[in-house]
Amino acid sequence: MSKSVIDLPPKGGFSFDLCRRNDMLSKKGLKSPSFLKTGTTIVGLIFQDGVILGADTRATEGPIVADKNCEKIHYMAPNIYCCGAGTAADTEAVTDMVSSQLQLHRYHTGRESRVVTALTLLKKHLFNYQGYVQAALVLGGVDCTGAHLHTIYPHGSTDTLPFATMGSGSLAAMAMFESKYKEGLTRDEGVKLVCEAICAGIFNDLGSGSNVDVCVITKGHKEYLRNHLLPNPRTYVNPNGFTFSKKTEVLLTKITPLKEKVEVIEGDAMEE
Amino acid sequence: MGDSQYSFSLTTFSPSGKLVQIEHALTAVGSGQTSLGIKAANGVVIATEKKLPSILVEESSVQKIQTLTPNIGVVYSGMGPDFRVLVRKSRKQAEQYHRLYKEPIPVTQLVRETAAVMQEFTQSGGVRPFGVSLLVAGFDDKGPQLYQVDPSGSYFSWKASAMGKNVSNAKTFLEKRYTDDMELDDAVHTAILTLKEGFEGQISGKNIEIGIIGADKKFRVLSPAEIDDYLAEVE
Repeated sequence: MSKSVIDLPPKGGFSFDLCRRNDMLSKKGLKSPSFLKTGTTIVGLIFQDGVILGADTRATEGPIVADKNCEKIHYMAPNIYCCGAGTAADTEAVTDMVSSQLQLHRYHTGRESRVVTALTLLKKHLFNYQGYVQAALVLGGVDCTGAHLHTIYPHGSTDTLPFATMGSGSLAAMAMFESKYKEGLTRDEGVKLVCEAICAGIFNDLGSGSNVDVCVITKGHKEYLRNHLLPNPRTYVNPNGFTFSKKTEVLLTKITPLKEKVEVIEGDAMEE
Repeated sequence: MGDSQYSFSLTTFSPSGKLVQIEHALTAVGSGQTSLGIKAANGVVIATEKKLPSILVEESSVQKIQTLTPNIGVVYSGMGPDFRVLVRKSRKQAEQYHRLYKEPIPVTQLVRETAAVMQEFTQSGGVRPFGVSLLVAGFDDKGPQLYQVDPSGSYFSWKASAMGKNVSNAKTFLEKRYTDDMELDDAVHTAILTLKEGFEGQISGKNIEIGIIGADKKFRVLSPAEIDDYLAEVE
């Protein structure tokens, strides 16, 4: 008897077996659970020494804010970071997976990962799933060929740009970029512009909010500025907490102790 | 004996209870270049001879000691190509563990999974066992560790061990020299002296390879210049 040494590769793609059942259930009135989306404003721009990425920190589930301070800038490689918009689970899973693949690639080649490698791995995966993996990404990094910034759409198409925005707040952020971006920005100018763009998204888009995360990547060095700006602090918290006034008058107090209905006897273990 | 009649098929036991192919694999390991490992109080060192078949071979392109994870390294004795395959598989397993549990893989787990792969190839049809023994050096929460994995898939944790051509002399030397409270630098010196014992020709930074992992939990292979420094200290 020989064990099968080769693992059969999984067939890939989604199984749509339950679609008919889900359809039938929703016709009967069952509301399907909504998934956690990241609403989001994510941006990236290229400045003179490298790339700056920015993101807001609000995760929404329909009209509710599910996470007031989530992390949307994901680690891909020491020199490559990726902002994710769309379904939070999809962006996290996809960036995690490609980050793992990049690590293995680094071990095998002994070289620093290139941004185009991450780009190609991501777009191949997303195209494979024909847009069902709802992850819209802004990928940026600095490698041996220079600084690169790309956007990746859920269906698998990509763009290479000097500045980019994605997410529900992308129009507000793009307005800031289009009016204020110029080539050869310094680090401080770049960070300021990124913060302005994210704040435009935070204040003008319902799906984005809370704080600003920034990541600055240059040759051989990166700075992950978590919560670089906190433009939405909790302004007032009552130190006394909440008090609820008593509405019902107490007329009678009677306490009846519970009677034990079951007697516990120490016995032998159950016979088989 | 009747053993030779059973040496063709891997998956058949011989009358004496041995799997003859695995014995042959161990012989292949025993004729490979010497490698050894020493566990110090604050780190682990692994080393190997790097005898190239000719002076024309580009020596910087040959790397016998490989990194599996940032805190685990490995060296081998035996067949180089088999080693490459195992390193690839182990790296992938370490990454999969990390993806699943979001923690760096503990040394024992990685050794167990690598040994499981090697064992699979001793119980399947149409394949042969790996012709390598591995010395895995790592530093995790349980401290510095050194493991040896054999072609059969069995693994042991060692304080110091050697494999390959000069194994008996090397082990005797290590038994005499090993102390429990050795520091990493002393361990490197001992490793170099052990390699020197059975070395043919002039030992230098270009024909041995040394990998160390210290309390910083980062495995790295020493450069030829660093090895030459250690050699000078030992002289």
